[in-house]
Amino acid sequence: MSRVLRLAVLAGCVASGAPLSAQEYPATAPGPTPLTPANLPPLQEAMLANGLRLILIESHEQPLLSLVLTLPAGTVYDPAGKEGVAEMVAGLLTRGAGDRSADELNAAIENVGGSLSASTGPDFLTIQADVLSTEAALAFELVGDVTLRPAFALGELEVLRRQATADLQNELSEPAAVGARVLALGLYGTHPYGRRATPQGISAIARTDLLSFHAAHVRPGGSLLVIAGDLTLPRAKQLAESTFGKWAGTAPAPLFPKPPVHTRTETILVHRPGAPRSIILIGNLTFTSTDTTYLATLVASHLLAGGKDSRLARSLGHQHRWADNPESSITRPRGEGAFEVSADVPTEATDSALHEILLQRRRIGTEPVPAPELEAARNALAGSFPLGIQTVSQLAAAVAEARALGLPATDLRMYRSRLSAVSALQVVKAARRSLRADSNLIVVVGDGSRIYAALTHLGPVRLVSTEGNPLTPADLVVRKGPVDLDLSQLQPRTDSLIVLLQGRAAGTEVTKLEKTAMGYRYIDESRITGFVQQTTEIDLDARAAMRRVTQTGKMQGQDTRIELAYDDRRVTGSARVMSPQGPKAFAVDTLIPPGTLDDNAVQALLPAFRWSASARWELWVFSSGENRVEQMTLVVTGVGKVSVPAGEFECYQAELSGGTQRVAFYVTTAKPHRLVRIAIAGAPIEFVAAK
Amino acid sequence: MALLSASFRVLPSKAQAPGPIAAQTYQLSNGLTVVLAEHHTAQVVAVDVWYDVGSRNERPGHTGMAHLFEHLMFQGSAHVGKGEHARLVERAGGEESGQTEDDITRFHETLPSNQLNLGLWLEADRMRSLAITDTTFGEQREAVKEERRLGLDNQAYTGAFLDGLYAVYDSATCFGYAHTIVGSMADLDLAGTAEAADFFRRYYAPSNARLVVVGDFDTVEAKRLIAAYFGDIPRGEVPAPIVCASDSAPGTRRKAVTDRLAALPAIARYYRIPGHDQADTPALELLSIILGQGQDSRLARRLGHEARVTVSAQSGIFTTRRGPQVFGVFAVASRGVTADSLDALLAAEIARAAGEGATEAELTRARNIHRASVVTDRQRAYDIAESLQHAATFHGSIEAVNTGLGRYESVTVEDLRRVAQRYLSAENVLVLTVLPGGTS
Repeated sequence: MSRVLRLAVLAGCVASGAPLSAQEYPATAPGPTPLTPANLPPLQEAMLANGLRLILIESHEQPLLSLVLTLPAGTVYDPAGKEGVAEMVAGLLTRGAGDRSADELNAAIENVGGSLSASTGPDFLTIQADVLSTEAALAFELVGDVTLRPAFALGELEVLRRQATADLQNELSEPAAVGARVLALGLYGTHPYGRRATPQGISAIARTDLLSFHAAHVRPGGSLLVIAGDLTLPRAKQLAESTFGKWAGTAPAPLFPKPPVHTRTETILVHRPGAPRSIILIGNLTFTSTDTTYLATLVASHLLAGGKDSRLARSLGHQHRWADNPESSITRPRGEGAFEVSADVPTEATDSALHEILLQRRRIGTEPVPAPELEAARNALAGSFPLGIQTVSQLAAAVAEARALGLPATDLRMYRSRLSAVSALQVVKAARRSLRADSNLIVVVGDGSRIYAALTHLGPVRLVSTEGNPLTPADLVVRKGPVDLDLSQLQPRTDSLIVLLQGRAAGTEVTKLEKTAMGYRYIDESRITGFVQQTTEIDLDARAAMRRVTQTGKMQGQDTRIELAYDDRRVTGSARVMSPQGPKAFAVDTLIPPGTLDDNAVQALLPAFRWSASARWELWVFSSGENRVEQMTLVVTGVGKVSVPAGEFECYQAELSGGTQRVAFYVTTAKPHRLVRIAIAGAPIEFVAAK
Repeated sequence: MALLSASFRVLPSKAQAPGPIAAQTYQLSNGLTVVLAEHHTAQVVAVDVWYDVGSRNERPGHTGMAHLFEHLMFQGSAHVGKGEHARLVERAGGEESGQTEDDITRFHETLPSNQLNLGLWLEADRMRSLAITDTTFGEQREAVKEERRLGLDNQAYTGAFLDGLYAVYDSATCFGYAHTIVGSMADLDLAGTAEAADFFRRYYAPSNARLVVVGDFDTVEAKRLIAAYFGDIPRGEVPAPIVCASDSAPGTRRKAVTDRLAALPAIARYYRIPGHDQADTPALELLSIILGQGQDSRLARRLGHEARVTVSAQSGIFTTRRGPQVFGVFAVASRGVTADSLDALLAAEIARAAGEGATEAELTRARNIHRASVVTDRQRAYDIAESLQHAATFHGSIEAVNTGLGRYESVTVEDLRRVAQRYLSAENVLVLTVLPGGTS
């Protein structure tokens, strides 16, 4: 609000008869009063004979109880090549255990108004139950069952595998997630903190892998049971003893390679053709969980990019309008953690924004922090802390995390006062050590053809594809044009595909290729019950170049129609299509580069592409739904067996990117090439060849 | 069958009373009701203001104003710049929110306890001197439209189901509950700052508000700050009473809409039930848990897992009102199941509740779930503040916060059958069919 406006409002308010008391009513926001001391109940500790440590935070204020069992069974213990085992184990623990099926387990906890969950992080697997304290025995029984007697039922494993694969594909279509993976791998090298689940790893996991992981790592020695709420220590010990007393063993002590030492700044550019924005991530390794500079580093991180007042929010956001939400974080695993800062910026501002982030990052470690800015950062961090420990559930989780990380029993109690005591000098020293200016790893995910040259001015740049494969600058050159087709592969044939929605058959797609006097005609009839019903006819000339597309159908109850005529330079016609905002109709008259394919024709022509395990095509594609020409890349990402109702085939897996959705095509390696599976990234829909 | 047997294993919980909430209430001379509850578990305070105004106070041709006004409350006041409210709370490490309902509009801050002064001052400043300008009014009007477009209108079924809640009562006799909270975009387009200023004067006076403060503070100091910040804000006029004649049941009514985001047909059945403070509410709430809350509820078990005719089904009393409320049952059909056959199965399930009633095991399960949610809400300062506001607004006294659970513990299976017969009848229902397609 402008000052004039503010005065006007103030004047109006006074005139309307609300007298302001000058002594009492503050004209500016009142500042914080001194902190009141933390009021956490003492931690009571006990150790079971089998090595399970018990911590009780006794509070009888409400008849509630929270149990958190923390096991050294995190993702770092995933067997190589089977990344994802720890997450699958955590996911399956609550899907059937003891005498209960997944549904019965769910009902047992839900029927007493409680909750039961399991999750995993890099170091630890955590099981948490929340109940009314009258249900203490049930909570121990259920946590005991899921910990000691999980069913790992094959059916549940397959359901979870499908979900995990879909989630992962979704994640991999997000540039920020791709960047985070590349950063973690670059920072940690062969140390398992750098590994992430992969679709190949998830598909390789067998039930025996889960059983052996469970047998090795779900052990009482080194594990921690934190109980918060309405329970006494003798009763807690008795319940823990009867639930976990017969459990024995200690998980093997980890032996990991040391993370690499980074001595200079490196830049990795993840080439994402056609990306309109760039994701910038900058990171470096920091320290292990018990390092005493953690809080000072946290303040430094907050000053840099922690909220709307941060230096990067002001410079990247308010000043340049490049990024609204630059973020910084310190990961704090048991072993060596990392500092990261990230921003999502327009392609054309990538190098300038990167330069600005590096500059601001260096300033934190070199210039004294002004007192008001330091005070504000400490206030925000100390202020939000107690909001996160109000419930027994939050308290149990916070104590469990702190103790699992090896922090002293006083950590939560002293957190705010220690944070408030962090000095400007400590912040600068911590930043110099942990927000490194000279040995960063920079990862940029964006369109390499537009940003590579500018980034090389800031230092050497290593180029990789979104799959992590090395690229050369020559790969960035856009080589679009008519695809060299093997016309011998275009033989008259009919194919039937089944449409699967969330794994269930929901429709059919029948395609037919015919020879005509002019060249070829391709007819596609698609039908998804209650959703889509459409017929597409495509005419191609003797060279299989685009000539005509007619599509009629119904989508979500709306009539759709596309009529397009192509020549080598132009596409004209009309379209009425469905969009997320409802139906839209428009005329089409667009200049196109030679060789442009209609998006409906890509599928028809795939068998005539010249396939190999390293094939890659740059295509111009006219998207009739969007009424625009898009640059797309089709790249073979792997070769492997694919099982569909029509049989098992060795296939090239190729990914089409650059459009609104990434699509994976599976084309047989054997000639004549045949398309046997289509999967759309991030959507629960796939097409598979029918018998 | 496995699921069914699981439900019979529910044992009655040894009902243990939730820990009591000790609160005191008083009024300032300008009519502002204050409720204070010290609670020193975490170093946190919640400042929670409810204004006794919601969409029910709107008149024909002026709908959407209560919600739009909630937005304006974040756009600055005499000493707080535009957008600064959220910024000040973020700087303190706190959280804030605003929400419009049928009967009330709520605003809250949760802050570290050494910033109680900030929360009180922010609420006082906008109560005493909200800045309403043509610019902010226009911006927020567009924000509300965008909220509808990106929120309700962008999720399958949600918009249709919510709109249906407001089609249950007759707009001629009960306009307050016969239009949506978001309101009509045409009405909003006609509204201007003069109307907003009038709305503020009429409803945002201390005499029409209740301030609840819960958490780690000293009562004497809180009272001093409240007197200094709120004491001299002038009292307002008494708003006109809301009339809603929930006339006798009009017989089964049917309505059909299309939803362009829906892939499958869906049914919503809405039943007319009395206001929240009426004696039958606990039985109806427990019945809604038995019917359609959780994986072991009847609809999920019988129509979902066993018959596989729904992909999701739930029931509940979705809006809390002093006036007549709505008991809703929503279900989305499985692929291949028509809207009509789903509706027939839903109607049969509901009729079964009125005929056979429920089992003791089902009642125990529902009581357990309800009790756990009540007790769980006694930990966070903001949840406690909301419980006190609810008790005072809908039950007439903050004391109800410590006695309310008893009304649920005394419900019997006979009560469940009786309320099902009385309210969930064919004469008392609006059936909404949602079909895929269309542009609505």
